[in-house]
Amino acid sequence: MTAMKTPSTATTTPEPPPQREVAITSTALARTTALRSRLTGGVVGLAVLAFLAALWEGYKALGQATGDRLLGIPFPVATDDLSMPHLGTILGALVEPARRGNPTSLGVYLLGETSVTLREAAYGLVAGSLLGLALAIVFLHIPPVSRGLMPWLVASQTIPLVAIAPMIVIWGGKAGLPPWVAVTGIAAYLAFFPVTINALRGLKSPPKVQTEFMRSVGAGRLQFLLWLRMPAALPYLFAGLRLAATASVVGAIVGELSAGTGRGIGRAILTFAYYYSNGPEKLYAAVLVAAVAGIVFVQLLSWIERFALRNRHSR
Amino acid sequence: MPITAGRAGTAARRGLPVLAAAVVILGTWQLAVRLFQVPSFILPAPSEIASALASEFPTILSASNVTVRAVLLGLVLGSVAGILVALVVSRFHKVAGPVLAMAVIVNCAPIVALAPIFNNWFGVTNLASKAGVAAVMVFFPVLVNTARGLLQISPLHLELMESLAAQPRQISLMLRLPNALPYLFNALKLGSTLAVIGVIVTEYFGGPSNALGVYIAYQAALPRFAEAWAGIFVASLLGLTTFGLISLLERLLMPWHESIHSDET
Amino acid sequence: MPESAIISVSGVTKEFNSGTDRSVTALTDIDLSIAEGEFVSLLGPSGCGKSTLLRIMADLTQPTGGSVSLNGKAPGAARRDRDYGMVFQQAGLFDWRNVQRNVELPLQVAGVAKETRRAKATSMLELVRLSEFAHHFPWQLSGGMQQRVAIARALSADPKILFMDEPLGALDEMNRERLQGELLRIWSDTRTTVVFVTHSISEAVFLSSRIVVMSSRPGRIATSIDVDLPYPRSAATRTTPEYFKKVTEVRTALHGTSAAQDAP
Repeated sequence: MTAMKTPSTATTTPEPPPQREVAITSTALARTTALRSRLTGGVVGLAVLAFLAALWEGYKALGQATGDRLLGIPFPVATDDLSMPHLGTILGALVEPARRGNPTSLGVYLLGETSVTLREAAYGLVAGSLLGLALAIVFLHIPPVSRGLMPWLVASQTIPLVAIAPMIVIWGGKAGLPPWVAVTGIAAYLAFFPVTINALRGLKSPPKVQTEFMRSVGAGRLQFLLWLRMPAALPYLFAGLRLAATASVVGAIVGELSAGTGRGIGRAILTFAYYYSNGPEKLYAAVLVAAVAGIVFVQLLSWIERFALRNRHSR
Repeated sequence: MPITAGRAGTAARRGLPVLAAAVVILGTWQLAVRLFQVPSFILPAPSEIASALASEFPTILSASNVTVRAVLLGLVLGSVAGILVALVVSRFHKVAGPVLAMAVIVNCAPIVALAPIFNNWFGVTNLASKAGVAAVMVFFPVLVNTARGLLQISPLHLELMESLAAQPRQISLMLRLPNALPYLFNALKLGSTLAVIGVIVTEYFGGPSNALGVYIAYQAALPRFAEAWAGIFVASLLGLTTFGLISLLERLLMPWHESIHSDET
Repeated sequence: MPESAIISVSGVTKEFNSGTDRSVTALTDIDLSIAEGEFVSLLGPSGCGKSTLLRIMADLTQPTGGSVSLNGKAPGAARRDRDYGMVFQQAGLFDWRNVQRNVELPLQVAGVAKETRRAKATSMLELVRLSEFAHHFPWQLSGGMQQRVAIARALSADPKILFMDEPLGALDEMNRERLQGELLRIWSDTRTTVVFVTHSISEAVFLSSRIVVMSSRPGRIATSIDVDLPYPRSAATRTTPEYFKKVTEVRTALHGTSAAQDAP
């Protein structure tokens, strides 16, 4: 839409500016439209958040008023403070001390743990993506390997990762590696698959005209890959990386559950789940922080993507 | 017709490398374990896992039964909810964009972290706590994909329906719904593995003693690794079977789809 | 103006972005009358608004001014009564329906009973000679075959009028000529009134009983040329001196209108 609109707007400027400036004006224009759509997006986002908060408190208030029963049907979730703390209590818990006798607030403590997890996830993402990309390139060039291994790769993703997490941790321990390496390995294990699938699709995406042109100028295999297939695959690759980023955070959290590292947001969630009756709002706060951290992690990647693909007007 | 002959040939051409890869992987594994005398706590040989599976089969089967029910319930609940919300959202073009963007963002959050909360809400041994986490994990991809399929229809198709003076209801039934089917099935395939992961992680946070996730964690802690690996094998078989069933359903419901027949990979 | 005009367009104007400083006049003051059973081609350079004119007749675009009457009704009413069938440049078949069910689509939208639908689709597929492909899916057909299915689909509800928007534009020359022959045979079998948009002079001359030559900026009708080559026409028609004479006549008319304006 914007790509179609901007050139005609640029031509209506009284004196046609030099080519370069046209480009700048049109990107600026595209930026304002993008900004406007993001503003409405933000407003709707806030509205959805407010709606969810109202739903939570409304459900709780209704339950409290009716004794968790409506027309004789019991509510699926109890509404007492133990099951559903007030949102205020949850947010308030973030500024209160995490433990007795220690002035560090829960929020600061959780952020510290989250940074450990995100570091593991980031390492895992990098390792997994490199592996995934390498696999995609191998699959592209040797189709029988692709046909033979692809179903098993799909199968590998159905292996419940919690199940293999203890094994990986034990392997790491035997090799004398610190626990976070094992956690990173689990994150990488989950991250590589979406990268492989999307990169392969992207590497195959150049249309016949382009591949035949490259062949007509006598391009070698490496030139094909570097100058045609890789750049063409970039948008696909980023789509895969976004999925991989989500997966690597999940992998890191799940890995921490069985790793016994003692650090990380996954570990914190496990601990607060254990001491749930002592302070349910702490578990909720931890889950909230984990969710926000996961979202921010992926958003960072989206920003990199937007920067890397800024000169492509597709979509 | 040459088509049937071609299909049989394709099946053979597809199946052979898959089998070959399996033989190569298992063979190398067995050989490596035997040759380097890898202790079983690091990696048991496939033969050990097979014998553990044989002896533990009744236990694993009953454990799988519990887990399977949670997975299927979660998959059904999550996809039904996702489809319903997608149908509603796609009616309102103005809000559809931001709402879907929001869903994509929420989906970036590690939803498995809900596991302890759901355990507390519905009870550790209750099926609903496991299925609930699986359902939330399945819900978002199904919602986003289905809504995209309903909204991203070809302008040419839409114009054709307009030239035929089709009612909005007819456009929905004859154009939008069939157009959304491939999108939906992609989400369901992704959802099938997500549901298995969600259920087993939630079981890890506490579950009935006869669930597969609990069984695996327990055997690994004992440590009886051959048994744990046998459990892992069955768990991934479970994920594969769900995946396979959905692919089968896809073929039955969408016999037209080109990607099913095409041979490009 | 003939008494039996089935399509009449009078004083139609179309302006895009009208009322803004970016307004573009696509069509100006179009008067056109088409009699029942005619095969009329709208011929002109790209941007002359020939497709827009067709879409206005089909009620897919609203004119800024003027009026259109189709089979004695307003275009909207004619569309709702399914008085016309439409073939686009792309076949636009539904991937999820086999050939038979694609052809049935207009009847299904109209609420025709299943058996009637099936019988009608079968006879339509006979008409376009694709009976043995009834149960194939679109991806299994070549581009030319897909376009024949699209023609069968457009004719399945027995419309009085057939609108075709560069239907053969995406095909290669050989397929194109074969389908032109097919189209004439279908036209003589069904006696449908055809309005055919094209930018190919030879195609317009071979097919039409009359060619409406349009010029661009702003789009308007330059002239109307009767093609008096006798039907049925065949591949041999293309080699006759009368055919070449007509092609030259149309070419001159076309260039006379555009040469003056083509300079930027």
